[in-house]
Amino acid sequence: MNSVGSRRKTSRPRLFLGSLGVLALLAGLWAGLILLKLQVPSPRAHFEDVHGPLMVLGFFGTLITLERAVALGYQVGYLAPSLSGLGGVALIFGFPLIVGESLLAVAGFGLITLYVAASRRQMSLHLAVMAVGALAWVVAVLAWMSGRDVALLVPFLAAFLVLTIAGERLELARVIRVTGQARVSFVVAAGIFAFGVTLSLASVSLGVRIAGLGLIGLAAWLAKHDVARRTVHQAGLTRYMAVCLLAGYAWLAVGGLLWLLFGNLSDGAAFDAMLHAIFLGFVMGMVFAHAPVIVPAVFHAAVPYRSRFYWHFLLLHFSLLLRIIGGDLAANRLSWQIGGVLNEVAILLFIASTGMAVAQERKNVTH
Amino acid sequence: MLLTELLTAPATEGTLTELLHEVIDPELGINIVDLGLLRDISIAPDGGVLVVMTLTTPACPLGPYITDEIRQLLGQVTTISNVEVEVVWSPAWDPERDMSDHAKKLLGWTH
Repeated sequence: MNSVGSRRKTSRPRLFLGSLGVLALLAGLWAGLILLKLQVPSPRAHFEDVHGPLMVLGFFGTLITLERAVALGYQVGYLAPSLSGLGGVALIFGFPLIVGESLLAVAGFGLITLYVAASRRQMSLHLAVMAVGALAWVVAVLAWMSGRDVALLVPFLAAFLVLTIAGERLELARVIRVTGQARVSFVVAAGIFAFGVTLSLASVSLGVRIAGLGLIGLAAWLAKHDVARRTVHQAGLTRYMAVCLLAGYAWLAVGGLLWLLFGNLSDGAAFDAMLHAIFLGFVMGMVFAHAPVIVPAVFHAAVPYRSRFYWHFLLLHFSLLLRIIGGDLAANRLSWQIGGVLNEVAILLFIASTGMAVAQERKNVTH
Repeated sequence: MLLTELLTAPATEGTLTELLHEVIDPELGINIVDLGLLRDISIAPDGGVLVVMTLTTPACPLGPYITDEIRQLLGQVTTISNVEVEVVWSPAWDPERDMSDHAKKLLGWTH
């Protein structure tokens, strides 16, 4: 078999797993519309309750575990994304909650195992940070299984993603000689964040505030030490990625400030802003940044850079401003709803734009 | 040498290394040779090429992307028959030791 055929064959199971992640994303977005109080049909009562777990674990979780499994190259590693993908499916189709929770819990353990395997090749601080992020995933699901409200899981779900991303950035910062003192300050900020997240199990108010302080510290660290500050002066894809990253760090700081100020996890405008500054502004911004290199790495599908990628970037950030400032802060329901819907449009535009770039490249190669 | 010349010239370790300057880490905008990821290139008598390289970390999400790019690029060289890429972890990548002065300058190292 030629190498292209072989690559296509190996990427089929990955495509299937990636599709499970995208399915969780689409279902999570639908649940998001219900949470935005829009009159859309709901598959069943309280479907919106699984919005958070679907987005964070079903979508981000499946893609992150898939990415790690591909990087490590062990067949058994694909169990982790398979389980989280199936966990998402179980949540979408209304299986007893314990089924989805159990699959997601084991998937979280699987991700920890992948980091342990990577550490056996090369031990490092950034892998440890990412493993703590995976541990936060497991704690979130175990707390959920014990009957804890999904809203109270938010610090752990955020910790999974924030520590995963921050760990990756710490690793890359080595290319600009971030060592010694700077690494210590990273550990201090991440440590404060992790401590606050853990404390939120006992005291929500104090824990969330301390975690917010840690988030601000991490945002400041990233803004100061991340390689994006240098690469933003380059061109094309490299600059686009850096712009996405730097905008994400601004949202991380905003999120941290909101966590510090409000310190609660109850429903309402503050909660909406606290969540989405982190999960959309920071995390989704990172996904937008890295898709043009992760999609080829995982699925063997080239995503040539297009300047139109800035459209979904701009739409995401401006609609988030509308949602948080015009909606949550100004207590204007319509702005909040329009902002929220446009957040989802930005994500769909991102998928469409990336898919189009893949299709155009395939066409060019074929002709 | 121009890219087309490199693809058709008799392959040597030198010409292949020069070609690998075309494989760029998209996040840094710097090629893998200047990043110091390339460890060795050897050409067997039957024209088979073995590229030995490392990555910045074992969990590097870009790893499969970069190894694919290498296979694809060297696969176009008319005078070689087969390309294998082996990723090694020891010694671990060390930016101070492995990155070229050009890469360090691009990334703002002060000396």
